[in-house]
Amino acid sequence: MKEPFVYINQLTVQYPPQVVLNSLSWTINKGEHYVLGGKSGSGKTILAKAIAGLIPYQGTISISFDRTHSLPAKVIYISNWYQFTNLEGDRNFYYQQRYNHHQGQDTLTVKAELEHFAQEEGLAFSAIENRIKELGFADVQQSQLIELSSGEHKKLQLIKGLWARPQLLIIDEPYTGLDKQSRGALNDWLDELAAEGLQLLLITNDRNLPQAMNRFAHIVNGQIAIESDISLLTKDAIRERKELPSFLKIIPETPYDTIAQLRNVSVRYGEKEVLKNVSWEIKVGEKWLLQGPNGSGKSTLLSLINGDHPQAYGHDISLFGHKRGSGESIWDIKEKIGIISPEMHWYFDQNATVWHTIASGFYDSIGWFIDVKFQEKKQIEELLEFFDLTAHKNQLLRTLPLGKQRLAMLARTIVKNPPLLVLDEPCQGLDSEQTRYFNAVVDELALHGKTLIYVGHYESQLPSCIEHKIVLEKGKIKEVKEVTRVMS
Amino acid sequence: MANYFNTLSLREQLIQLGQAEFMDPADFSDGVDALKGKKIVIVGAGAQGLNQGLNLRDSGLDVAYALRKEAIEQKRDSWKNATDNNFKVGTYDELIPTADLVINLTPDKQHTNVINAVQPLMKQGATLSYSHGFNIVEEGMQIRKDLTVIMVAPKSPGSEVRAEFLRGFGVPTLIAVHPENDPQGKGWAEAKAYCVGTGGHHAGVLKSSFVAEVKSDLMGEQTILCGLLQTGSILSFDKMVEKGIEPGYASKLVQYGVEVITEALKHGGVSGMLDRLSNPAKVKAFELSEELKDIMRPLFQKHQDDIMSGEFSKTMMEDWANGDANLLKWRAETGETAFEKTPAGDVKIGEQEYFDNYVLMVAFVRAGVELAFETMVDAGIKPESAYYESLHETPLIANTIARKKLFEMNRVISDTAEYGCYLFDQACKPLLTDFMAKIDTDVVGKNFNEGKDGAVDNVKLVQINEVLRNHPVEIVGQRLRKAMTAMKAIKTV
Repeated sequence: MKEPFVYINQLTVQYPPQVVLNSLSWTINKGEHYVLGGKSGSGKTILAKAIAGLIPYQGTISISFDRTHSLPAKVIYISNWYQFTNLEGDRNFYYQQRYNHHQGQDTLTVKAELEHFAQEEGLAFSAIENRIKELGFADVQQSQLIELSSGEHKKLQLIKGLWARPQLLIIDEPYTGLDKQSRGALNDWLDELAAEGLQLLLITNDRNLPQAMNRFAHIVNGQIAIESDISLLTKDAIRERKELPSFLKIIPETPYDTIAQLRNVSVRYGEKEVLKNVSWEIKVGEKWLLQGPNGSGKSTLLSLINGDHPQAYGHDISLFGHKRGSGESIWDIKEKIGIISPEMHWYFDQNATVWHTIASGFYDSIGWFIDVKFQEKKQIEELLEFFDLTAHKNQLLRTLPLGKQRLAMLARTIVKNPPLLVLDEPCQGLDSEQTRYFNAVVDELALHGKTLIYVGHYESQLPSCIEHKIVLEKGKIKEVKEVTRVMS
Repeated sequence: MANYFNTLSLREQLIQLGQAEFMDPADFSDGVDALKGKKIVIVGAGAQGLNQGLNLRDSGLDVAYALRKEAIEQKRDSWKNATDNNFKVGTYDELIPTADLVINLTPDKQHTNVINAVQPLMKQGATLSYSHGFNIVEEGMQIRKDLTVIMVAPKSPGSEVRAEFLRGFGVPTLIAVHPENDPQGKGWAEAKAYCVGTGGHHAGVLKSSFVAEVKSDLMGEQTILCGLLQTGSILSFDKMVEKGIEPGYASKLVQYGVEVITEALKHGGVSGMLDRLSNPAKVKAFELSEELKDIMRPLFQKHQDDIMSGEFSKTMMEDWANGDANLLKWRAETGETAFEKTPAGDVKIGEQEYFDNYVLMVAFVRAGVELAFETMVDAGIKPESAYYESLHETPLIANTIARKKLFEMNRVISDTAEYGCYLFDQACKPLLTDFMAKIDTDVVGKNFNEGKDGAVDNVKLVQINEVLRNHPVEIVGQRLRKAMTAMKAIKTV
């Protein structure tokens, strides 16, 4: 006999003029662990937030918690993007803040944040000590929240949610930004919790899932549809390939042979060394893959190249043929680089429209632009067309589905046709179809003289133009090698 | 040393006080050229010192830090700040003689000692820069005649100066050249280049004077910025608790309310802030603030008079000489207030609720901003200067209250501001006794609109809007805010 756990009747959520969920009815029975997949923009996150009671809705949602069970009778929703508000009420951080060191910057340490959470929820630290190790999170506990990389922030959110063991746990894109090893550890932990009676609802189109997952659903026209197999969930339509705008086929001028040369570079914060004796040479036109577990120093290494790290001064670093600290400004450096990263996206101006987002790429500023010239306007229009964003150009960036936001950020990255592209986990949060499309664009750009540094965790999700690979581990170079055809 | 301002003729006083020219972006077309290749040595590596230095270096300039020997030997915070960011650090003896530009970014109180130590070491014809003119104007520090003396004063906390620069933007900045010290006529060129190096030219630059900066800065911080926010916060909290509002709710409303309310002020001026209220609430806030202006005007004028005459700085410097006895005592007293000791409750307050349930604070802010502005302008300060020192900075100070209440505000602002804040607060509270006795929870703690039908008299509303929108702080504000083309909206709720 099936016993209903979550009962949803006639659920309607509107964001005028759009009706996102339309009289949706759905029953999740005891013991059912759902994967909620399907197209981006179909309303998955909104449904999850409604179940968790985080947004207003019309209709009925009731959850039959078991008050006698040892698991707390509640629902926890872990969002796709980390929410970073610290206890002291500090809510306004800036993108490069983790690299700028200032004594008395009183943000919390990870340990303090976890202890505070434990106290609030009545949890014991001993319960998760091993989990923290398996997730590769043991070493960062003394770090301040501001110092964490995006992958580490994601882990912190996951650890808190799983530690609290709610009877219903909803995770929106659980694997976004996680390295391979942590992903396995996460699935093991989820399976154990499921065995204890916790019910899972995972929003993902990923195939590498906890074994407990036994139901599959997607949202079609505002209604829930249940499928017998994950392969039957709807996918985003394959994008029509368009001709690359002609200005991107122009090979950027590079009156130097070497894009970047780092010799024995170390970066430390107080006692903590985050990069140790790193040497790396990138020649014009080379296509590099940069890999390493979460927290291994990838973003820090990139920040030395893109002008964001104050410790770049005083080291043996040359960029675009000039020794660092020889009178160049960070704007001279940024002008030659198109960059995209999860952090940059996270901190991006909340008030920027899609058009402004792309326009700001000419000035290397966050959502701010001066006087956009005619030729530049034309390039913006061409990119809007190329990425199918023209209809959204006046919308606020943050109101678009994540996949479209990422395309707008990519457009911003390439709009000035820079000699160097730095793509730090550009496909984080995209599904496999979107990723394939994105990487095909990268491959095409690569044909026209650009130098590339690409960060990605999964071998199956990389552009095929990659020819060199550098791997970091705990701040050291673990491997540098040539690769021919990472994937076919 | 004699108060510099008081040595000037009335004519010269008026000229310097009235110096305020809003600069054109084209004035900055030379970028940082005037300082390119020159040695810049910053004294002091606190919030302003460190962040300005990071910006200048990122603009392609050569920056090092000179610290006192003890600070280096004991590896104090200033030493860590500079070395953690890979700056060259040395003692005064090592670095000052090499410097083309010495930037003094230490706290006011240390200026005399710092300048006395630094000045003899500076090379002939070098430049000395300040971020605040207290030492020159109030203490009357005399600088060697071969040296150029400039001021570059970003109107934001140091962390903002950095964050806005990295965003590709900047914060509004005052620049000045001391008329007694510009032997080579290079002062303005260097001040402009320094300003570009911090990103200030992206957000509006006011060509000011040491005198105008000091006399307006002191006035703003003592009255609207810190003094009135402190008085208004404490009185509002006490009133709510007295009338039975749950203390946790009252604490949260006061702590965060001022930030939410002044965020509207930042984007839309005083009228923009009042536009966030319903019509009946707007009428109420207007009436309350008119009354507040009448009550507090003499106090604002007294502060301005004491600042102009040098009475304020004289009293404060006596307290410095007395080991900050008064400052420390008043600081301790603020830490003991009920508001400070009641943690914000775990209740959700929506963004609009902060306006609807806190009409009183809207009235306080309007009264304070307009009074401070009017009083400064009446004293010969130009509207542009008065705007930056009143309306512009109010949201920035409110952010600090939202972080950790008044303790945080008083920690972040300078000791000079803190001292003046307490003077104001102590005088203001008794003035408002009768006013506060009439105040009930409809304007602080509960939704003003509840139980009302929302009707207002047309003519009255039109008249109120006219008064609000035609106030000189709104006229000048509209122009200056345009220059801050991409003001950042902050997350308040």
